[in-house]
Amino acid sequence: MASLTDAQQQALGAVLDALIPPRDELAGAGTLGLGDAVEREIDKMAGALDALTDALAALDASTGTGSFVALAESERAAALAAYAEADPGFLPGIIFHTYIAYYQDPRVIVALGLAARPPHPQGYEIAPSDFDALTARVRTREPFFRKP
Amino acid sequence: MSDQEPVDVLIIGAGAAGAAMAWTLADTRMRILCLEQGDWMDPAKYPSTGMDWEMRRFGDFGLSPNGRGRDEDYPVNDSESPIHVSNFNAVGGSTVLYAAHFPRFHPSDFRVRSLDGVADDWPVDYQTLEPYYNVNDRMMGVAGLAGDPAYPPKDVPLPPVALGPLGETLVSGFEKLGWHWWPSDSAIATEEYEGRAPCINLGPCIMGCAQGAKASTDVTYWPKAVREGIELRTRCRVREITVDENGLADGVIYYDGDGNEQRQKAEIVIVACNGVGTPRLLLNSASKQFPDGLANRSGLVGKNLMFHPYGMVTGVFPEPLEGYKGPTGCCIWSHEFYETDPARDFVRGYSFEMLRGMGPVSTALWGMSSGALPWGAGHHDAYQEIWDRTAGMVIITEDLPEECNQVTLDPELVDSNGIPAPKIHYRMGENSTRMMEHAVARGRDVLEAAGAVRTTTDAPLRPAGWHLMGTARMGNDPETSVVNGWGRSHDVKNLFIIDGSIFVTSAAVNPTNTIQALSLYIGDQIKKNLGNLFD
Repeated sequence: MASLTDAQQQALGAVLDALIPPRDELAGAGTLGLGDAVEREIDKMAGALDALTDALAALDASTGTGSFVALAESERAAALAAYAEADPGFLPGIIFHTYIAYYQDPRVIVALGLAARPPHPQGYEIAPSDFDALTARVRTREPFFRKP
Repeated sequence: MSDQEPVDVLIIGAGAAGAAMAWTLADTRMRILCLEQGDWMDPAKYPSTGMDWEMRRFGDFGLSPNGRGRDEDYPVNDSESPIHVSNFNAVGGSTVLYAAHFPRFHPSDFRVRSLDGVADDWPVDYQTLEPYYNVNDRMMGVAGLAGDPAYPPKDVPLPPVALGPLGETLVSGFEKLGWHWWPSDSAIATEEYEGRAPCINLGPCIMGCAQGAKASTDVTYWPKAVREGIELRTRCRVREITVDENGLADGVIYYDGDGNEQRQKAEIVIVACNGVGTPRLLLNSASKQFPDGLANRSGLVGKNLMFHPYGMVTGVFPEPLEGYKGPTGCCIWSHEFYETDPARDFVRGYSFEMLRGMGPVSTALWGMSSGALPWGAGHHDAYQEIWDRTAGMVIITEDLPEECNQVTLDPELVDSNGIPAPKIHYRMGENSTRMMEHAVARGRDVLEAAGAVRTTTDAPLRPAGWHLMGTARMGNDPETSVVNGWGRSHDVKNLFIIDGSIFVTSAAVNPTNTIQALSLYIGDQIKKNLGNLFD
């Protein structure tokens, strides 16, 4: 199985940080270390990792400095947007896998105000509804199904 | 090929229909065997038990059999259909993944020709099926609320699922518009019920219920049927139904879990493979006596395929809704637009099935696809505007039968045993298209009335081919139907079909309750007619 070089992983991490930047105490998606998960998912599609490495190289070249990572963080989003416009196939797959990795990460789940646990076995409480009150109007309606 | 010991009754398929049939025939004390190409599921491994639960809908718990990569599933070529097939092969069949939204058909659904001049009437009616609906409601453990004016009076065994802030917000929209709504009938144990634990609002019912509260037939009918002596043989994929010199079904040839060919003789064969699997099996069972496929002298096997074209309307609300809690597809329904209204430009109607919200990953992916969630500097603020603030509905439109919509055998695609796979030929009819336009607009109306600050729509919903109907229709005339009014093939007197393929029309609600009620009814007819079953 092919894998990214350290430099490519660093570049992918910078891309992920640009996609989902840091907020409050939470680091950006790349700094959280989600690049590995994104790489694994992309590698499941034949030829996708090669396409990614080619695109990362092209992204570097498009910056004018030869390195996306070398750009100031404030400059990366604009550089990434410009490259994505020229190569529209580049970002959708990365965004898809980044969002999945990010929003199932326990640190992010906690930041959303949820407990970092799967739904089962604890489940969730829902306050009971007053069905008599809620359905009062509809109950007064005449049956409206057609009788053949 | 090995010969297995003959049985009296062979049921093919252990899903909704096959399970109900096995249970109801158990008291005959005949030797009854069910062959199922899937296996028993292990609820401890269902997605809701892991942190990656949302991601697994893109993998082993995806909707499409083509994307799951399980040997138990068979591929479906639906590349020429705007709606893709969603089914599942295991003990419990597609009830393992269904939402358990569990309405009955309306009385008018069985008299479509008489009332509206389209399609055909069924050879059975609501009154005939009503006692079987009642039995099925008890067997599956249906939760709901009596008193819905959209239906004839009926009892409901269990109290309704909780609505929560999301459900009550949606109710407010219907109340403002003065439209019908009612707590959904849901095949979900809201209290401990016959050994099943109560629902704890996990959320992802459509990826299997780890709690066992959802009524998939592996936790309802099958344990009872097996205790009654029914044999359920898993990882057994039937290749073809065979016939004797008299043109009667005499058994099947199947592949066991090791890929070995087996011969199973039977006196009665009952097919319960759903609206795609059943015509596939019948067409794969062509022989010298039945060159166009078994039980296909009418030429209608595979034809008149009906999905329910689904639409989805999603609203973003200003306040948190706790929408990640509670059964995904079970909350409230509306049948305001169910019955034909001559003032509209379509006949028949549709229902609304209100949905819960989304988990964190699904929220992000919905935001991505709907354009509500940018990447970069605005990402977090945009996410906060949609996280736990989405709610919506699916629209279920009644699809009318058309012969051009059909299941055939794909000339190249095969399953893991080399058996030809089904191919779907389908396009939405004009009536369904007009109905969908009306429904989407009304869906927006109700969400806006409930306070949605913006709405998005998606129709027809591509992956929503859950309901597979009409491909071996029932009727009294052998020229225009495949089975008679109690599921027996017109052509092969000891062959029965009991799944959604025998539906004459599709109604505008989820079909599982009707599939099972019909299966129980047919089972009763078999028992009543045992003495002269093949006359």
